[in-house]
Amino acid sequence: MLFLQLLFNGIQTGAIYALTAAGFALIFGATRIFHVAHGASFALAGYAFLMCSQAGLPWPVGCLAALAVAVAFGLGMDAFIYRPIQRHEGSFFTVFVAAFGMTIVVQSLIEIGFGRGFAVVPSALTMAKEVMPGLYLANIFWVAVGVAVVLFAIVGLFLERTRAGIGLRALSENPELLRAYGLSSRKLSALAFGLGSALTVPGAVLTAVTSGLQPAISAQVMLISLASAVVGGIGSLRGAALAGLLLGVVENLVISVLDTQWSSAAGFVVLFIFILFKPSGLFGQAVTR
Amino acid sequence: MIAYLLNLATLATVFGILAASLNLLIGYAGIFSIAHAVFFGIGAYTGAQLAILFIPDVLLACLAGGVLAGALSLCLALPALRVRGEYFVAASLGLQMMAVTLFSEAHSLTGGHGGLVGIPMPTLFGIDISEPATFLVFCLLVLGGVLLAIRMLMRGSFGRALMAIRDSESAAEAFGKDVPRLKTLAVGLGCTLAGVAGALFAFYMAFVNVESFTLEQSILVMAMVIIGGTATLAGPLVGVLLLLLLPAALSFLPFIPPTQIGAVQQLIYGGAMTLLMIFRPAGLAGQSTGRR
Amino acid sequence: MTDLPLSVRGLNKKFGGLTAVQDVDLDLQAGICTALVGPNGAGKTTIFNLITGNIPPDAGEVLVNGKPVRGMVPHRIARMGVARSFQDLRLFGRMSVRDNVLAAIEHSAWLWQPGGGAARRAREAAVDAALDRTGLTALADARAADLAYAERKFLSMARILATGGRIWLLDEPASGLDPHSRARFVSLVRSAVADGVTICLIEHNLDIVTELATRIAFLDRGAKLAEGEPQAILRDPELIGIYFGERRT
Repeated sequence: MLFLQLLFNGIQTGAIYALTAAGFALIFGATRIFHVAHGASFALAGYAFLMCSQAGLPWPVGCLAALAVAVAFGLGMDAFIYRPIQRHEGSFFTVFVAAFGMTIVVQSLIEIGFGRGFAVVPSALTMAKEVMPGLYLANIFWVAVGVAVVLFAIVGLFLERTRAGIGLRALSENPELLRAYGLSSRKLSALAFGLGSALTVPGAVLTAVTSGLQPAISAQVMLISLASAVVGGIGSLRGAALAGLLLGVVENLVISVLDTQWSSAAGFVVLFIFILFKPSGLFGQAVTR
Repeated sequence: MIAYLLNLATLATVFGILAASLNLLIGYAGIFSIAHAVFFGIGAYTGAQLAILFIPDVLLACLAGGVLAGALSLCLALPALRVRGEYFVAASLGLQMMAVTLFSEAHSLTGGHGGLVGIPMPTLFGIDISEPATFLVFCLLVLGGVLLAIRMLMRGSFGRALMAIRDSESAAEAFGKDVPRLKTLAVGLGCTLAGVAGALFAFYMAFVNVESFTLEQSILVMAMVIIGGTATLAGPLVGVLLLLLLPAALSFLPFIPPTQIGAVQQLIYGGAMTLLMIFRPAGLAGQSTGRR
Repeated sequence: MTDLPLSVRGLNKKFGGLTAVQDVDLDLQAGICTALVGPNGAGKTTIFNLITGNIPPDAGEVLVNGKPVRGMVPHRIARMGVARSFQDLRLFGRMSVRDNVLAAIEHSAWLWQPGGGAARRAREAAVDAALDRTGLTALADARAADLAYAERKFLSMARILATGGRIWLLDEPASGLDPHSRARFVSLVRSAVADGVTICLIEHNLDIVTELATRIAFLDRGAKLAEGEPQAILRDPELIGIYFGERRT
């Protein structure tokens, strides 16, 4: 039964990872910007939700506040950090360091404001019930899986069916084509950042009510998003989502054989193996030299 | 006060070696590793074990630490050859995370979370050099040697080859550069020097544990190199001094509670990295981009 | 039969489903300039990349001095005397002009170069000669990224010159040059040909092609449509029609 329990735990973690990683992949796929401050969006959203619920506001208000903060941060990064850098040089290295610096800034601000410890928002949804002998599930599991499925369906439809969605997919491949269709690449890149950052919100809120938030979570989320994007094939939304799920499951299943300390390292072993043996990832095009 | 200054100077010297070695990768070879603390750690554990189990000779410890770190740098060189850019950053992050787990779990080698305690006083050819001033002089000599070696290599054909690869890998190949071999060599050299710095660090602290070799440490060293200025000899040293003096300077400011100094320090260097990338990507000591 | 400096047999390359190069045979005769002419997307640069080993062909063979180079990595092919330029130049931007040229001729992948002082002086002499012939001597210490456009183009030629390679693949080396620089470029290539260098030139400016090329290979959509003397090719109304954008039906 332990295996099944861990598998379900893994799916819950994986659903959160998948959504977050999909946001990262969406931004990278459209703008070719390696948005390592994505984890900071996640952390900001989580703490915004935490503040609202500590202030006694109802949870939908908290979610909206989280959404607003995450989207604003994503758009701000695009407008005030990435764009000025790309105007003068814009090497991968420069963009990466700037975003990394912002992640550190956000992390330390949170540390100053909320302290170093864990913070959890209590919720009735996390009460676990025994659904099968030896298998405990809380309602939050169904919420996490449900939200992930619904959001993926919506994002998928948006990318397939709407003009802006199709434009997003073409942005990185052929900017000139967009002009011919009357779409602005500036607006599309803002859209990518807004939408991608919004996808961190469900994960942030769910983490706040389950395992809890801490300042270092921005770095953890960044690592997971990076790992999922690479394992899934950089730029592939489907790949990132699947890889996020995979990493969540692997992290939890490892506990059935090894100590818990190995659980976070397991994900990176997967990442390392992929980089060495299949750098194109699950769904990516070949990238080796 | 003197003791405090000697202490700070020794730490700055050790980090100077570490930052200079990372600059070899980031600045000259364009290999953007966020796993440098791993090799610093390998050097420190090796040096510490050698001192505890056999002989506390600082030169031998530096050699052993450097050689082992250099040999294990193949773990980093392998992905560096397969992929580039974003992927390599991801790979080095993965290596860093795996290594921290290994460091804290391999009790027999690293002492786990408790670390290795009771590292004996350093000696050099049997002579005790544990006196802070003497040890500082030794560290400065090592730093001087490292800087001299880097300067000579980077002004010569090896440096030109690495910088050519950094600026355009495909053109470097088209002009006969054996890119995989040169990259492996650069990674090996950079990590060897990080191992040397690690061995010195072990003697300086007389105690090592995994806390000194985490992702945060890798980022701190990266920040030193970037803020100081990549691909210059002085840049990393400037960065080391700035970032090591920062906590000390902050502790003089009365309105910052002591418990927050760590966070405020991070805030400042994180912000500095971002602002520098926007306004002065070459770093403080770097040549400003004189584009037409 | 004496070995040709470079010949290409039955070369094929597809990207995804798109044909980039299809059944191309090409012989470069020793000591002349052969021009590859054709509209954009004809596969000219891809042929260069296939020759230099940057991308592997799906089928076909490349022979350098009669030796097949299939499966060889780019730097090995380069050391056989194949030097190339890039459309986007790919200079070593943060290095000085002198170091750009010097780096192009130091092949040892070790911490230093073999041969000691004598070899070093020989390399320095080669660099000085290349800078002199390209008119860059006064700019030797400037950063490559800080050069003006024409100077950057000449720096990319200086890198090739210094290598002493006998086969040059030049990818639009004269595009965007002002008339004065263009004349300098033409005389530079002419003197190389006079020295016996074998050149393959991708060029859109047909004036330069007629000035330099002894043979022309005409490509369209990855296939070689014709090869021959410049007069014959450039007077063929069908080819010229394709070149100036009238598509075949």
